[in-house]
Amino acid sequence: MSATSFRMLIKALAIGTALTATAGVQAQGYPSEPINYVIPFNPGGESDVSARFQQAVSEQVAGVKMVIQYMPGAGGAKGWSKLNSMPGDGYTMMGINLPHSVLQPMQKDVGYKSEDLAAVHYFHYTPDAIFVQKDSPFKTLGELIEHARKTPGAVTFSGSSSYSSNHLAQARLDDLAGIKTTYIPFSGTGPAIAAVLGKQTVAGFNFATSAIAHAEDMRMLAVASEQRMPAFPDVPTFRELGYDLVGGAYRGLAVPASTPEEQRQKLSEIVSAINADPGFRKKMEDGGFVLTDVTYDKMPAFMAAKRKEYTELADKLGIKSN
Amino acid sequence: MEFLGSFSGALTSFNLLIALAGVALGLVIGALPGLSATMAVAVLVPFTFTMAPASGLIALGSIYMGAIAGGSFSAILINTPGTPSSIATTFDGYPMAQRGDGGLAITLAIMASVTGGVVGVAALLGLAPMLSKVALAFGPPEYFWLAVLGLTLISALSAGNTLKGLIGAAIGLLLSTVGIAVVGGDVRYTLDTQILLGGIDITSALVGLYCVPVVIDLVATRAPHLKLSGSGGYRIAHAARIMLASKLNLLRSAVVGTLVGILPGAGGSIAGLIAYAESRRASKHPERFGKGEPDGLIATETANNATVGGGFIPTLVLGIPGTPADAIILGALLVQGIRIGPGLFDPQGDGVIYTFMAGLMIAALLVLPIGLLIGRYAFRAILGIPKPLLVPFLAFLTIVGSFAIHSDASDAQMMLALGVLAWLLQRAGFSPSPIVLGLVLGQIAEQGFVQSYLIGSAQNDLLGMFFGRPVSLLILGVVALTLGYPLIVKGLNRRKAGHLGEITQILAHEGQPEQKPFRDTPAIILGGLFTAIGILAWMETREMSAMGAVFPATLSLILVTFSLALIARQAFKPAAPRGVLTEPDTGERPSTPRRVLLVAVMTAWVLVMPLLGFFVTSLAAFVLITVIASFERMGTRTLIVNLVSSIVIVSAFYFLMSRTLGLRLSEGLLF
Repeated sequence: MSATSFRMLIKALAIGTALTATAGVQAQGYPSEPINYVIPFNPGGESDVSARFQQAVSEQVAGVKMVIQYMPGAGGAKGWSKLNSMPGDGYTMMGINLPHSVLQPMQKDVGYKSEDLAAVHYFHYTPDAIFVQKDSPFKTLGELIEHARKTPGAVTFSGSSSYSSNHLAQARLDDLAGIKTTYIPFSGTGPAIAAVLGKQTVAGFNFATSAIAHAEDMRMLAVASEQRMPAFPDVPTFRELGYDLVGGAYRGLAVPASTPEEQRQKLSEIVSAINADPGFRKKMEDGGFVLTDVTYDKMPAFMAAKRKEYTELADKLGIKSN
Repeated sequence: MEFLGSFSGALTSFNLLIALAGVALGLVIGALPGLSATMAVAVLVPFTFTMAPASGLIALGSIYMGAIAGGSFSAILINTPGTPSSIATTFDGYPMAQRGDGGLAITLAIMASVTGGVVGVAALLGLAPMLSKVALAFGPPEYFWLAVLGLTLISALSAGNTLKGLIGAAIGLLLSTVGIAVVGGDVRYTLDTQILLGGIDITSALVGLYCVPVVIDLVATRAPHLKLSGSGGYRIAHAARIMLASKLNLLRSAVVGTLVGILPGAGGSIAGLIAYAESRRASKHPERFGKGEPDGLIATETANNATVGGGFIPTLVLGIPGTPADAIILGALLVQGIRIGPGLFDPQGDGVIYTFMAGLMIAALLVLPIGLLIGRYAFRAILGIPKPLLVPFLAFLTIVGSFAIHSDASDAQMMLALGVLAWLLQRAGFSPSPIVLGLVLGQIAEQGFVQSYLIGSAQNDLLGMFFGRPVSLLILGVVALTLGYPLIVKGLNRRKAGHLGEITQILAHEGQPEQKPFRDTPAIILGGLFTAIGILAWMETREMSAMGAVFPATLSLILVTFSLALIARQAFKPAAPRGVLTEPDTGERPSTPRRVLLVAVMTAWVLVMPLLGFFVTSLAAFVLITVIASFERMGTRTLIVNLVSSIVIVSAFYFLMSRTLGLRLSEGLLF
C-alpha cells in the first residue's frame, strides 16, 4: 500500500471513529463524563485558584465533574499551541486569558494565533492594581508618580511575566502620566508579590486579588477597575485619580477548534450556571475576583472589541503587530 | 497546651487512616519516575472537597511527604530520580546499589527522610511566622548566588575531568534557556519547532539523562542489574549506626532543606543539591562522594523531606507557595474557605491549621514503617525480576514517566533523544550530572541575574545590588568556602605527604586491568562540535532583546572557551591512560546489536504512540524488548510467563493512568 493511500485509510478510519463518538455523545446526552480542564500555567496562580473554585461546585451545580491538569510552559503558549490538536469531543477545555493570548502571538511566532483559539466563555477578570509594602513612604498614587517624575527609571514595579496584563498596565501608566518607570518581570504573581513584600522593588503592578491574603502587609494605591471594588471600598480607581487606566486579566475557557457548536454552547451554559451559584460568587468576590459572564453568543463581539483595544495598546510595549 | 489538643484532633482514626493511605500512595507514586508529588496532589484535590478541611489537608500533605521520600527508591535502584528532589540521591545511592548495598541505601534514605521530614514540620509548627521572613529577605541577587552555590557542585560531579564537567554544565544552562523566556518574553533556541516552545521539561530530561543510559547498558550484557553483597539485606541496625555517626550532617542538611524549602521557587531538588555540596565540603572523605558514600545520600534525603515542612511556611503565612505541590494545596485551602495569613497561626483560632500540622508530623513519622516496607518490595522486585522483563519494564517506566507529565508524546520523544545523547556523551567521559545541574539551576540563575541587573540599573547601583547585600554576601562566603576549602585541604595533605590525588586516581581505575595508551579522540571531536554549537548559540542571541540575550550570550562564550581548552588539552598532551571507566567490567563483551535494536524499538514507540494509541503501542514495544533482552531461548513456559507479565504490567499502568489519575492518554487509531 502506498503511503498516500495508507494515510487516506487512516483518515477514513479517524472520521468514522469521530462520527461514532459524536453519535454516542448525542445519544447519551452531553456531558456524561468528567471534563478535562487544562490549566496552561503553574498551579497557585489566579487561573488555577478560580478553576479550583469552579471544580468544587461544578458537580453539584451543573452535574458535571471536572478534572484539572496542568500544562505549564512558555507563559501559556505551550498549552495554547497544542489546544487545537486535542480531541474536540467536548470533554477537553483549557484555561485562556486576556490580554496575554492576544499580545503574546502578536510579538513573535509562539505556535498559535490568537484567532485560532476557540473561546467559549470568559467568566471573570482581575483588575490590575499598584501595591507598596506597608512601610513604604508612598501613601498615595500621586506621591509615587511624583517620585517617578523626579527620578526617571528609578521606580521599579514587580509584575507577573513579560507582555502580560501587569506589564501592559505599567506601560500605559508611564504613557498616561508622562513618567518613566522600570518593569521587573517575575515568573508569576507569587514571586512578584514576594518582591513587593520583601521591598525588592519600590512597588508592584499586580492583580487586586493579591490584596486579600496580604491586607496587613501591603497598601493598594489604586486599582484599574471601572468602579471601586466592593471588597476594597477605600481604594480609589485610576480613573478617579485622573488616569484613564482600566484593565486587568480576563480569564475564560477555550476548546479545541474541532469541538461542535452544540458542545461549545453547552459548556458556556455550564460555566454560566457555576457563575450564578451564590457560594461560588461569594468565594470569588471575597478573593478579589470580578465576575463577568461573557457567554458563547457574545464572544465574537467581545473578542473583536478586546483585540482592537490591545492592538492599539501594543505599540506602548514596543510590539509591532505583524 | 493548644498543640496537644490538635494532636488528639489529628489522631482520630479517620485522620490516621488518611495519613497512612496518603503516605503509602505517595511513596509508590514518588518511586515511579515522572509521576511526581505535584501530579498526585493535583489529582486528589477534588476528593478532599468532601472531607473535613483538616482531613483533606492531611491527605494531601501525607501524599506529598511520602512522594518526596519515595523518589529515593528509583534513584538508588535504577539511577533515576523518582522526583526531581532526589537528583543528588543518584550520585551515591546508585553506586551503593551497584556494589551490593542497595538494601542499606534504601534503609538509610528512609531514615534520613523521616529525620528531615520531622525537622521541617517542627520548624513549621514552632517558627513559621518568624521563618517566613526568610522568604522575603531573598531577593533576585540572593537567588542568583544560590544558583551559583549549586553550580559549585560541578567539579564534584565531573567524574575526574573538570573541564568536561564545566562544558556539561554550560550545555545544561544553555538548554535551560530554550523556549519562551519569563523575563523579557524572547523566543529562544526553539529551532522553529513547537515542541521546544515550552522549554525542556526537567522531569523528562531527568528520566532521559539518567535512566535511558542504564537501560541501554542493561540490555547489552547478561549480567544482573544489581548485585547483592555478602552482608546484603536491609541492615537496619547498621543503618542506625551510620545515622548516629552522622548527626551533624543530618542536622545541617535538615536546616538547609528547611531554609531552601521556605524560598518560593527553589524547592526540593535545589535543597538536595546544596545539602549534598555542603555535606561533601564538611566531610573528612570528600573523595568518596559520588562513589557510594552514605553521607551524600543521607544529606540529600534529609534535606528534600525537610523542604516539605519548610515549603508550607511561606504558603501558610504569606500565601506564596514554596513549591508547585504547595501551590496546589494552597488552592485546596482557599476552596475550603481557609484564610491564609499569620492569623492562621493564632492559638485562639479554630485550630484547623494545628490539626493539619500535627497530621503532617504523623505522616513524617509514618514514612519510617511504610517506607521500609515498600522499599523492601521495590528492592526485591528490581533484584528479582528476570532481565527479559526488567529491561522492557524500565523502558516502559521512562516512557510512561515522561509522557505522564503533560500527557504529551513530545515529552517522551525529547526524553529519549536526550537519553541516547547522554549515553553517547557518557562514553566520551561526559557525566550527565553537570548537564542536569545546569538545567535545574539555569532558570533561577538567569531570572535572578536579569532581575538584579534591571533593579540595580534602575537604582544606579549595580555593584551594590550584586555584592552589597548581607544575605548575598553570606551566600557568596559559602561559595568561596566550598570552592576554596578542598584546595586548602589538598594543600595541607600534600604537605603531610598524603597522596589523596593518587588514591582517587587509583579508585577511578579500579576494575580496568589493561591500560593502553589512549588519546581522547572522541573528546576532541565533541569539543569541536560544542565549539560550533556555542558559536551558533551566540549568533542567535543577536536577534534577542538585551534582557533575553545577556545570559545565553555569556554562556555560549563560556562553552566555546571551555571546548577550545578541551581540544587543546587533549590534542597537545601525550597519549595517556584512559581516565574514566567507559564500560562496566562484566567479563563479557557487550552486544551492540541489542543496544541498537533497543533504541530503535524505543524510537518507534514514542513516534507511533500518538498515532496508534498508548496501550497498543506500549504492549507491542514491551513484548519486542522482552525478546531483545532475552539471552536464552525462551521455553514455552517462560514465553507464556513473559507474555502474561507484559500484559499485566502494561494494563496496570494503563488503568492507573487513565482511570485513577485521569490522564489523557494518546488514543490514536486504536487505544
